[in-house]
Amino acid sequence: MRRLAGGLLALLLTASGGAAAQTPVPLDEIRDLLREQSFEPPPERSLAALRADDLNSSLADVDPYARHFSSQEAARQDRDQRAWTGIGADVRFEGDQVWLQVYQGGPAHRAGLPGRVRLLEIDRQPVAGCEVKELLQSLRGESGSPLVLTWQAGREMPAHTTTLIRERFRPLDVELVEPWSQGVLRVRDFLAGRTRPALMATLEFIERSDPGAGDAGSPLVMDLRDAVGGDLYEALDLAGLFLPPGTPLGSLMARGGQVRDFQAPRGDKLVMPLVLLIGPETASAAEVFAGILQHHGRAYLVGQPTFGKCSSQTDRRLSDGSVLRFTNREVLLPDGQSCSGRGLTPEMVVGDSVLRDLSRLMSLAMALQAGRGVVGTGQEAVVQ
Amino acid sequence: MKRMTLMVAVMGTLGLAGCATTTDPHEGGLLGGIQGMGSGAYDQRVQEREDRLEQLRQAQQELQTEREDLEARKTRQRREVALERERLAALDRDVTGLSRQVESLSDRHGEEDQRVQALQTRLDDLRGRMNTQQSALDALEGSGMGDAETDLRRRQLEEQRNALREEFDLLMELSLDLAR
Repeated sequence: MRRLAGGLLALLLTASGGAAAQTPVPLDEIRDLLREQSFEPPPERSLAALRADDLNSSLADVDPYARHFSSQEAARQDRDQRAWTGIGADVRFEGDQVWLQVYQGGPAHRAGLPGRVRLLEIDRQPVAGCEVKELLQSLRGESGSPLVLTWQAGREMPAHTTTLIRERFRPLDVELVEPWSQGVLRVRDFLAGRTRPALMATLEFIERSDPGAGDAGSPLVMDLRDAVGGDLYEALDLAGLFLPPGTPLGSLMARGGQVRDFQAPRGDKLVMPLVLLIGPETASAAEVFAGILQHHGRAYLVGQPTFGKCSSQTDRRLSDGSVLRFTNREVLLPDGQSCSGRGLTPEMVVGDSVLRDLSRLMSLAMALQAGRGVVGTGQEAVVQ
Repeated sequence: MKRMTLMVAVMGTLGLAGCATTTDPHEGGLLGGIQGMGSGAYDQRVQEREDRLEQLRQAQQELQTEREDLEARKTRQRREVALERERLAALDRDVTGLSRQVESLSDRHGEEDQRVQALQTRLDDLRGRMNTQQSALDALEGSGMGDAETDLRRRQLEEQRNALREEFDLLMELSLDLAR
């Protein structure tokens, strides 16, 4: 109903694999749904051109964010459903390179892999030139099974070989990035009803572990560089946590131009300064959250311009148990504009090498925070 | 002549080697041993050995304390997770009660009543999140996470369960309004 899915290739590799049973795709049901409920009614000839044998490609011609998931795929990608079995990392393909984004507390993290590594080999076999499916298959496996990964922390860094054991793992809904003393919280997905309480619990945890950590106006830094989407209402709820009651949060536009407005609710509020780390992969719900707070001058954005997707998708289960995701709403930020196609521009723009260097980003964030009166004019600082 | 010179040179080396004494019993040759006993180094070695033994005892004591702390932490974590399970089970019972109430509302107002439908949708959503909460608790018990991460995870789950309780209270209020 309200999912803002990221349009990036972020494949979760922690769920166990399994061959999907082939069942006929209910094409007419899909056509009806798209015809009646898409944000923009698709041309009939595009609907007629949908093909069961290559459904996702033909769906992309109708709606760039539409996607069909078999029932197994749908269950596998649902973060809320269960714990996963695997190495505790997302895999991301960047050109011909394969990168792992490691979850705090997962098997890969505990085996010593840092937050983001370039994957070179799996069980001594080079990943270069590997098919995506084949690569994911190599990473997946039963709980307790070993795996040898060769990786490097960056392009020019030395290669390491690490043996780790796949296991059952459920990631933190809000991660506290190491070292914990710097108080950086990472959100990768806005989970309905979960991210806001998890954020509150994490803040309380930091305060309890290091009393006074939030004193002297030290900012809360939220890392959204890998946040590719999630639940829209959760993003709105989270933004409302930082704004006075009644502050406009934006609106949701349905087919035919019907608009529903949202305001910040009453209740607990967070008053500390806020810095958000963003990048080209920050998309969808994460862009909505960041865009609202930037509009109200409540957060400073550091990083690179975001992906630019403020449309909202809904997931509908079909009669065969599969799921169709398609665009049915457009989110308007408090300035009445959508971020689709333009993204958000941070107050401080950094180069590629800085973007992936958390310690340098943190230094910049602190400097920006210290001089907030100056950068509040909207000037951009470019750091390479 | 040449051979003699070589002999002298070798003897000279041996003489110098004899002067290089040590107090380490592993290296104590004849000369070193005699030299060591005569100079009181033996007592020093005994003292060193006793010091090392004392250090070992202390290290063992620290390890034992650490092990006990670890056990205590694990026991505490298990207790806290069990407590969290009880709270979730209590909420589940309440939700089951609310579910029956919504069914009776449906009978009274009709299945088509939009208010009842909205309540039912939110109740279904709440149930789904309760299941998520349950599976997250299961995962916490079997996870290989470190102590601090487990603690953080448990705190997040507690806060998420509090949020579920708030949602339940709200739905209960709505249901009571509809029942009046």
